[in-house]
Amino acid sequence: MTQRRPFFITFLAPAVLTAVILVAAMFEVLQYSVRAFIPGALDVGGFTLDNFTRINRPIYWWVMLDTFYISFLTAIFSLLLSYPVAFALVRARRDWVRSLLVSLSITPLFTGEIVRTFSWMLMLGSDGFINSMLRKLSLIDMPLQIMYTRFGVVVALVQFSMPVMIILLATAISHVDRDCEKAAANLGASPGAVFWHVTLPLTLPGILSGIVVVFAWTMSAFSTPQLIGGGKVLMIANLAYLQGFSVLNLPFAATLSLIALVSALGSLVLMKSATSRIEKRLAIA
Amino acid sequence: MKKLCIALGALAVMASAGAASAQEKLVVSTWGGNWKAGVEIIGKEFTKRTGVEVEYITGGTLDRLAKAKVARGNPESDLVNTTAHVGYLYYSDGLMEKLDYSKIPNAADLYPLARRSDYTVSDYVYVYTPAFRTDSMPKDFKIDSWEVLWSPEVAGKLGLPDFDPSHIIIAATRLAGVSPAEWDKVKPKLLELKKNIKAFYQSDATSQNLMRTGETPVQVLLNINGYHLEKLGLPVKIEVPKEGAVVGTDVWGINAGSKKKELAQQFINLALEPEMLAQLCNFHKCSPMNPKAKLDPAIASLPGIFTSAEQIQKEAILVDDKTYATLLPQWKAWFTENMMH
Repeated sequence: MTQRRPFFITFLAPAVLTAVILVAAMFEVLQYSVRAFIPGALDVGGFTLDNFTRINRPIYWWVMLDTFYISFLTAIFSLLLSYPVAFALVRARRDWVRSLLVSLSITPLFTGEIVRTFSWMLMLGSDGFINSMLRKLSLIDMPLQIMYTRFGVVVALVQFSMPVMIILLATAISHVDRDCEKAAANLGASPGAVFWHVTLPLTLPGILSGIVVVFAWTMSAFSTPQLIGGGKVLMIANLAYLQGFSVLNLPFAATLSLIALVSALGSLVLMKSATSRIEKRLAIA
Repeated sequence: MKKLCIALGALAVMASAGAASAQEKLVVSTWGGNWKAGVEIIGKEFTKRTGVEVEYITGGTLDRLAKAKVARGNPESDLVNTTAHVGYLYYSDGLMEKLDYSKIPNAADLYPLARRSDYTVSDYVYVYTPAFRTDSMPKDFKIDSWEVLWSPEVAGKLGLPDFDPSHIIIAATRLAGVSPAEWDKVKPKLLELKKNIKAFYQSDATSQNLMRTGETPVQVLLNINGYHLEKLGLPVKIEVPKEGAVVGTDVWGINAGSKKKELAQQFINLALEPEMLAQLCNFHKCSPMNPKAKLDPAIASLPGIFTSAEQIQKEAILVDDKTYATLLPQWKAWFTENMMH
């Protein structure tokens, strides 16, 4: 006998509606990507595959590679900086320490991306906080060029991504069975060995999901590379924006968006399969 | 029952009053911030003279164009205030009404360059021109020619807009003695400039920020932004090179399908009145297109402000709207692919 689910369709309707709108929008992007651009006109021309052949120009490959590179670095550095915070957050003995860490790590989520990016511009600029401090300490004569570089963009993106990474890691760390750690310690393992051989492997699923989420999130970053990169560091979203809203070449902007979407999905599939393999290996061990 | 009838009557009166005031509203599409504040100077006077309220809808140049396209036949606004070459995109796509210049008598007084087309008329112009921070450059540094932007002194210091590379391309064609349509010939020269570019700015605000922080102490910028920085006390020098400054033109046009064409034309006529233009240009620090408009002497003497036909002839680099509108996408595409990464 099938179980009755009285509100199933009602509850499902918003999700279906959202999915239909999303698919329709994606279809619109797809159909724009195979239309010709007419300079100086608002309308698009007939069917063409020129937009896809244009992607072969080196600039687009470089921007795509840059996007992957920046996203990868952001994911790795977010992980390295977030893990100790998440660990302290879960394992702190005093409530006020936990509360403080929660406030410090999560509050940035409630400030807008633009506000945070502007703060970083004040920090990283030639006359910004970092350069001023280094100059006052007589460590440098000339200001370091941090703005308009990949390094500057990655710094800002890492800070932007850290709250999400911390939440994911804290969840994983809180699920670690403390008895396993105690057993390892009782058998003579040093605290470092316990962490390396027990805690870290048990939090690996959280680490992997954190990397996947931050990588995918950064792939579509726009305002941070736009403002910190100052046009000298372009990610794929910036290029699509420039083509769409500056050149008014909506067909090519649609092509770039499609390629970015396919690349992001492809890399997520690859990561997912790698993650599954690692998780399986861990389960066997 | 009597009370009910009175209440219904009052509601009907209120509703009809609301409908009347809705009919007497002129909707103007313009930019936000200071640009809107400028248009409001005209709007207030218009309301004072005609009793017609003016409502404003604001947005970016291209956002508003896209909205106008979507709302074709049933426009959100009656009047559009936009950039001249974007005005070309509006009317070439059937989004603007033809102007009846007999209903805009003040247009007869304008400089010839102000009557852009049968659909658009300009009230003022501004320039994109080089400017620099005097405290960040050598003492004897000056930009008397666009060529200076290519000099080693500017290496790694130049800021340009990412949304419009036309100014530097037009300047390069002027230096090479070719027309903007022959811009292919100056591509190698433009590539030589790459080493001097430090960053690209995305808006007036980021242009000012880059100059304020000294990140790009040399910029090709909107003269109005430069004056604003000077007002803030920054040591910024705005230069008009001997080849001239690249003129940007804002225009008025009437949305196709507007039911208030007469009122819209009255508004445009008011906007072109010498006194109104003087007020507007004293506010923005721009060049009025009506030679009868008398600016404050301090503003009239600023670099990049034109007060006579001779000065325009000598100091302005002008490009017609059609050339601009059709070449700009090519310029932007080439610039993005070759200069920005």
